[in-house]
Amino acid sequence: MRAKSAVRPSNKKIYLYLLPGLAIYTFVVLIPLFMALRYSFYKWSGGPNLQFIGLDNFVTLMQDKVFWISFSNNLYIIVMSIIGQIGIAFLISVLLTRSWVKWRQFHRTVIFIPNVLAAVIIGFLWSMVYNQDYGLLNYLLKTVGLESWISPWLDDPNIVMASVTVPIVWQFIGFYLIIFMSAMQNISEELYEAAKIDGASGWKQTWYITLPMLKGTIKVAIMLCIAGNMKIFDHIYVMTGGGPGYSSTVMSQYAYDVSFDRFELGYGSAVSIGMLILSLILILISQLIGRREN
Amino acid sequence: MSVFSSLGKAFVNGLLLIFSLSAIFPIVWMIYSSFKTQQEFTLNILALPEKWNFSNYVEAFKVGNLHQYFFNSVYNSVISVVLIILLGFVIAYMIARFDFPGKRTIYILFLFGMLIPIHGLLVPVFIEFRNLGLLNQPITLIMPYVAFGLPIVIFLFESYIKQIPREIDEAAIMDGCNTFQIIFRVVFPVATPVISTAIILSFLTAWNEFPFALVLIQNAELRTLPVGLTNFNGQYTVNYPQMMAAMSVTVLPVLVIYLAFYKKIIQGMTAGAVKG
Repeated sequence: MRAKSAVRPSNKKIYLYLLPGLAIYTFVVLIPLFMALRYSFYKWSGGPNLQFIGLDNFVTLMQDKVFWISFSNNLYIIVMSIIGQIGIAFLISVLLTRSWVKWRQFHRTVIFIPNVLAAVIIGFLWSMVYNQDYGLLNYLLKTVGLESWISPWLDDPNIVMASVTVPIVWQFIGFYLIIFMSAMQNISEELYEAAKIDGASGWKQTWYITLPMLKGTIKVAIMLCIAGNMKIFDHIYVMTGGGPGYSSTVMSQYAYDVSFDRFELGYGSAVSIGMLILSLILILISQLIGRREN
Repeated sequence: MSVFSSLGKAFVNGLLLIFSLSAIFPIVWMIYSSFKTQQEFTLNILALPEKWNFSNYVEAFKVGNLHQYFFNSVYNSVISVVLIILLGFVIAYMIARFDFPGKRTIYILFLFGMLIPIHGLLVPVFIEFRNLGLLNQPITLIMPYVAFGLPIVIFLFESYIKQIPREIDEAAIMDGCNTFQIIFRVVFPVATPVISTAIILSFLTAWNEFPFALVLIQNAELRTLPVGLTNFNGQYTVNYPQMMAAMSVTVLPVLVIYLAFYKKIIQGMTAGAVKG
């Protein structure tokens, strides 16, 4: 009925209006997606010689240790972010609803700032924090007498993943804080009033009211966390370039290395496809788990 | 009723303050250190500069080509934002107002764009652009920026336009407006609040973008600030204050925009998140 309204332009006209935006989107997102799929079946170093090798790239991919190391590094960052970002953000947002907490507006504004900065800036900034000789972190450790803790933060393969994850977690806490705070504003006051009458204290209210009411928001937050951390690139590229060795390589960094350092564009396409498939699987799993709980 | 004693409350307040300060201290440190000489910096990493000197900035602009990168960043961001807003608004309007064949498919295609890790498309986009001779052009970066900016903006606009009464469209028709005029002279002005949010968000994304600028542009003259910083880093590995000066220049516009519009930015981020 709505569609038959006099205001409605013809289908042709509608498509004409959609065309420019859709064309750019198709050109940059959809066509490359199919190109990646096509090139992943070829051995190709970027020159005129393309050699069709069927599924060989994917067979190689399945056995490629570095690819799986980089995937597990992505998983590490995802898990740390779910705990670190969503956990800390939830805690702080609960605190910021308490009337006795001071400077609430200040906290909210300030904690969000790292969020709007370029990931490259965050990466450079934290390389400076981690620097062996001129770094803030080692300087602070020295000042408080914890010299024994001083480490080559970005050069030790055993701790480098923790070192590169901290800035990533740090940058986006504010984002989840804001999401949680706006969700909490939508919880009816009456629920808390009722709980108060029943004698439920502050933390009991959080546990039995706030947390369950925020379930949907937390699910969205976890999905965003997964999607966001599967595309982590800038921080790592700037801080370590994936090193030492492959110890801090993430999938996008690996796709970049294979394609633009080794110029194996066929295999690089296969890595990209692998990365896309794995992200979609993770997002799907997180959605299914969320649904089953309902 | 709270479980906290007043001592406990003071303690929590203190902890929160430390946490908040840790969120901005590295940035503050970067900005004031950029006014120190290299020697001053190595002597005491934490101290404020004794004399606030601008030589690092002068050098960064003179030697480091910072003004060129700055101009390129402004150019790419502004053009992308204008296109994202105009194209996104038209698409959102059509989706919000009318049913037409393929609407759901188009909707889902854009939704898909918010979920896939865009860096997975770095390699094929590079190949496509190279084959078509589109690398190292003034319009090279605009295309991916527009494409990746569209999804979120479309969803923001679409839900907003749905709330605008259809009567104003109909009234406009009575007054003899065509579709184009309805969109841009009637509905667009009504949507100003969400449009300004979308402008700020897409500007920040384009301004901060790194991987596509890294891969699709090899010509130094077309580099944007984030990529420009990386070759700064190589050139002046040891000169931290100078690097920090260049970083501060990159960060300054973003900080100004944030402090001026933080309510809108926060609104937009949450709206995007809840939709996404």
